[in-house]
Parts: sequence; C-alpha cells; structure tokens
Amino acid sequence: MLNEMPILKAERHQLLRAAFVDSMPVLMGYTTMGFVAGVLLAAKGNLVLAPLWAFLTGALWVTGTMNFACVSLVAAREPLLSLALMTLAVNFRYAFYGFSMLARWKTVPFFRKCYLILMLTDENYALEAACGEENSAHHLYYCTILSRLNHSYWVIGLTVGAALVAVLGHIVDPETIRVRTNGMEFAMAALFLVIFTDQIRSFLSHEK
Amino acid sequence: MKSEVLYMLGIVSVGFLLNFGLRAVPFVIFGSRRHALPKGVEAFGTFVSPVIIAALIVYSYWGLAWRTPWPYLAGGLTIALQLVFRKPLVSIIAGTVVYMCVLNCGCTSQRIVQLDKSDPSIHYSDYGITMNGASINPVEVVKVLRDNDIPTDRVIHIRMEEGTRDLRGARTLMGILAKGGYTRPVLVSDRKSEAFNTGRPKKAPPPAAAQGPRKIRYKKASE
Repeated sequence: MLNEMPILKAERHQLLRAAFVDSMPVLMGYTTMGFVAGVLLAAKGNLVLAPLWAFLTGALWVTGTMNFACVSLVAAREPLLSLALMTLAVNFRYAFYGFSMLARWKTVPFFRKCYLILMLTDENYALEAACGEENSAHHLYYCTILSRLNHSYWVIGLTVGAALVAVLGHIVDPETIRVRTNGMEFAMAALFLVIFTDQIRSFLSHEK
Repeated sequence: MKSEVLYMLGIVSVGFLLNFGLRAVPFVIFGSRRHALPKGVEAFGTFVSPVIIAALIVYSYWGLAWRTPWPYLAGGLTIALQLVFRKPLVSIIAGTVVYMCVLNCGCTSQRIVQLDKSDPSIHYSDYGITMNGASINPVEVVKVLRDNDIPTDRVIHIRMEEGTRDLRGARTLMGILAKGGYTRPVLVSDRKSEAFNTGRPKKAPPPAAAQGPRKIRYKKASE
C-alpha cells in the first residue's frame, strides 16, 4: 500500500516548519475565537462541567460557527433535533470540501483519513488545498501536521476560556474580551485573501 | 445533574456525527480504492477550491465591519503585499495589524453626535447604547464625550431602560468610561418614555413636574 519512498529526516523537518509557519495565522484566529467561544459557553450556557463540554465540542466538532451558535441553544435546553437542523443548515458547505482532496488522499490508511476528514475546517481546508506539494507522501505528512496543530489551537482556546470562567466566575466578561481583541478576526479573512491571490497567480502562470 | 450530562452527551454526539458526516460525503460516494476516480469529479475538485475560497472571503467579510471602507483597505494592502513579496505571514499580519489599529482608533464611524451639554447621559438597553438618540459602539463612547467637550469630572448618567436584563454590558461600559478618564458614571434606572403609552388617554402632568428635570431614581448598591 505504501509503495512510496519513506520521507527523509531533513524533508520531515522542512515540512514541519512549513506547516507551522502556515498555521501561524490560524493560531491567531483560532485561539482568540476559541477563547471567546469557551467563555460564552461557560458563562451563558447554564451548564455543569462546562470546560469538559467545551473540550469535547472543540475536539469532536471542530467548527467555530456551531460552537458559537450552540450556546443559546444549549442554554435553553432545546431538543437535539434543532441542533441537527442548525448544523445541517450552517455547515452544509463542508460537504464540498472533500472533492478537492479525493485524488490526493486516495491511498491514505483508513483511520488517518478519518482524522483528516474530521479536520476539514474552513481554514485547514484552504491551506491544504493551496499546498503545492507534488509528492503525495509529503502532502499527507504536511496535512497531518497542519491538522494536529490547528486542532490543538482550537481545543486549547476553547478549554482555557471555559476553564477560566469556571474558576474565576464572572470576572471574565465575554464583552470585554471582544472589545480587547476587536479586529483580530481579520486574520482569517486575510488568510483566505492570500490563498486566493496565490491561486489566481498560479492559474495565470499556467495559462501562459 | 444526571439528565443534564446525558443531554450534553447527546448534543456532543449529534454534532459530531453531523459535522463528520457532512465532511465525509464525497469520500463515501467516490472513495472506493478499487475504482478510479471519474474524470469529471477530479475536474470538479480542482475547479471547486478557488470558488470555495472566494465564498469564504465573502463569508468572513460579512463578520467584519463591512459597511466601512476599512476591511477593504486592509484587504487591498494584504493582496498588494502578497503580490509583491510572496510572504503569506507578512501580508496577513500587516493587514490584521492595520485593520485592528484603524478599527480601534474609532474610525468606524465618521458621524458627529451632538450631545445635550446639560445632560450628557448614555441610554442603555438590551439592544445597545444610544446617546441623544444615536446608537453608538461602546468603544466610541469616550470619543463622543470628548468631541462634545464634556469635562471628565462630570457625573455621567447611564440610564438603564426598565426591564433591561443583561447588566454586564453596563459594567463594561463603566469600565470603558473610567479608562477614558470619566470616573463618575452613575447607573440610574430610566422609566420608558410616555410616548410608548398609546393606550388610554393620560391626565396631563402637573406643569411643575413637566418643566423640571426628569425624575431619576438612583439604584441602591444591592440592586
């Protein structure tokens, strides 16, 4: 199955560094957004064990929009069906992301593939689709490292936010955090802009 | 407690199944290893990625202050830097820093709000903050007060509309005022204006009360 050459140690380091540098804007976005989402869940979710739920939703859902949207829904103890409908409506776009990865991930082992599919978030997908690595083993290594990094940023942000509220009570105010980090969300838009610029440029250079 | 934990476990698993299921759709349909990928699907995969990213740009701009020119300015800077230097991290950080600076310098609104100098009060309700009828972003309150030459030692009334539930925003507002030098904000409760009472006709209020200042009830510390 794995008929490709093993990755050399030097190449491994190179890919690791590339993945880390590429994940820096996501680090800025995910930790702050996750932190605010965690604070909101713990402060307004009306829950026991809020940090645990923040951790589980962060680790298993990996979707920022739903993590914000679920707060009011959970606080009102709405039935599971409304969560299901909302998820379908908000995150339907995820069903298209896999199409760009089908050919590249064809030979990936099952569990690894499951993890990569779980991590098809907006930002992670954009970076993986933009990665120009030709060698499929290298691409797979890059995707795995990138997914693990971005996953950990999101989970850490969420859990720390919820845990701070659980420990400190209402000292941590979601509104204050929003005012302090006002504008940080532009990092995500800028990431998409940069990737789009590069895609257009490579498209134009292929045409010539 | 037990039912709550069960409910949350249900929420977590439903969200997990749906999010994962949506992402797995293409792999379930076309993922079989034995068959080669149809040509059309592969072409669709390469075609769809710039379309998705363009849609994500629009989607992320929707969450920004998109009615002001600033996200477009910062976006233009990001693209220009990327075109010239090809260093994604530099372009992204430069664009974000410029956007944050511009946004937090109060450049998001150019309107000038005229305040009544004898009563520079802030009206607070669940729907946001208004000053003299104009709705204001909390971070700009100090700027509006300064623009109207309100001295910092003035008592600033924060009038809470009757029935306001979320008081945390008001506390944040007091913090913002204190940081801007206005150290004497006072929370007062404000009865809804009589203009909202369209039911039975009202007796005309006694003239003395009509001319005097509006009645203000100071909140006790325990409230």
